[in-house]
Amino acid sequence: MTTEGTAPKADDIAIEFKNVSKRYKLYRSDKHRFLGIFSKRIGFKEVYANSHLSFTIKRGESVAAIGKNGAGKSTMLKMITGVVFPTTGQITVNGRVSALLELTAGFDPELTGRENITLRGQIWGLSKDAIAALEKEVVEFADIGDYMDQPMRTYSSGMKARVGFAISASINPEILVVDEALSVGDKAFREKCDRKIREIMEKENVTVIFVTHSRAAAESICNRGMVLEKGRLVFDGPIKEALDYYEGPRDPAVPTAGAAITDA
Amino acid sequence: MADAKPDISAVFAARVERYGGTLFGIVEEHKQFWKQIFQLAAADLVKTYRGSALGWLWALIKPSVTIFVYWFAFAIGLRASKSVNGFPFSLWLIAGILPWFYISEMLTQGTTTLKRYSYLVTKIKFPVSTIATFVSLSKFYVHLALSAIVIVIFIVFGYPVDVYYLQLPLYMALMFAFFTVWSMFAAPLSAISKDFANVVSSFVMAIFWMSGVMWDVNQIKIPWLSRLLLFNPVTFIATGYRNVFIYKRWFFQDSFALMAFGVTFTAMVLLTLFTYHRLRRDIADVL
Repeated sequence: MTTEGTAPKADDIAIEFKNVSKRYKLYRSDKHRFLGIFSKRIGFKEVYANSHLSFTIKRGESVAAIGKNGAGKSTMLKMITGVVFPTTGQITVNGRVSALLELTAGFDPELTGRENITLRGQIWGLSKDAIAALEKEVVEFADIGDYMDQPMRTYSSGMKARVGFAISASINPEILVVDEALSVGDKAFREKCDRKIREIMEKENVTVIFVTHSRAAAESICNRGMVLEKGRLVFDGPIKEALDYYEGPRDPAVPTAGAAITDA
Repeated sequence: MADAKPDISAVFAARVERYGGTLFGIVEEHKQFWKQIFQLAAADLVKTYRGSALGWLWALIKPSVTIFVYWFAFAIGLRASKSVNGFPFSLWLIAGILPWFYISEMLTQGTTTLKRYSYLVTKIKFPVSTIATFVSLSKFYVHLALSAIVIVIFIVFGYPVDVYYLQLPLYMALMFAFFTVWSMFAAPLSAISKDFANVVSSFVMAIFWMSGVMWDVNQIKIPWLSRLLLFNPVTFIATGYRNVFIYKRWFFQDSFALMAFGVTFTAMVLLTLFTYHRLRRDIADVL
């Protein structure tokens, strides 16, 4: 941060994928998977969740990843986050990534919301003061009252999403990755999140990658859309055109050639 | 295929480079994350003992009950309670079983760490190898507390702290190192295969009785068998704790035991590097 932060250029590259593929190995059973560690002769089926993805995202861009369930959006986001490793190809990520992947978003269900905030702050390596500031900000934004001091396993999905988003957004990310988690919140909270995302983007030149099925959300936040289909990038361009392409007049009954792709 | 044999030394060099890189990666993760490891260990400890009315006392109650049960079975039931080196049987039992509480926790819970902390693997970018370390550290804190209590018990029984206690930190460190590496080895395997976790948990009792926790390995009359048993790290550690508390022997007096532990430890490290190298990138895919 110290070296990059001195002279931020508008054309800095935040994320670069070079011919990235992700293969999942499907074994017949866990037993075969176990034996597969020790022997190369154990057979498995290959499933490509992403194949030959190549793109660059510049600093400050906001990109919507669009596609049906199983198109490979989540796998792509997980690779950006660094949770999942590509099978082949090269990924470059410049900057601190804050990710909100699915609902649980990396919470310990046994710890309270407040303790989870502290834990996350510690994992990020923040100082005591910074953690206290983070806690204050998250408590204020999530706005779930006394539940903040209850174990997170007692939370509703909406509450988890609130705390999860609040943490991801408050941690001063350079790259913010948001999976479909926000779709569970009510309308008021979604609008609050949209406002927060826009605020982050404007103030701090943050790159945002956003998965959504909602046209309104995508259009209001993003200026670029990437359409994924069966693990491949089939369209990459301005958000309006991407959405039109995705919702376009294609007959969904016609199967596309290629192997069956499943999402993680 | 057979006639195009690759040069053995080249293959060996490639292996050294590959697993050396894995080792370097693990060390690097620990160097960058040492502060967090202590914080996460504290959080793990709090989590383990919270939510029950007796809380922290459970860390004491469980070992006390275990010691009482074994003492009862042996001293009262089997009348096998002869004093050892001037120490009553009960103290001999306590000295050897003290490390077992940590070891059994690491054998069972140390094997399932990645499952319990799956959110650190699949939801955020996290140095996965450190999970074994902070869980092990959390169990080790409890072990330190128990050790302090055992030392007090010995003093109360009229056996003051002597120079042999100096080697207690050494045995503690060796135990911590071995079973932390064990957890790094076992946790990815059990994340992939339920069978593995089941095998381990069903062998815990067997390991307990086959290791020199409840008997003295040096009393075995078949020389090759007693030597073979020393390759079992549990035997080495339990005997080591008794060297400190009961036998009043130095660790370097039994160089064979030290060598045997060294061999097992090295094998464990190599095995861990092998599996960790193969599985690190796949763990998030299967959890």
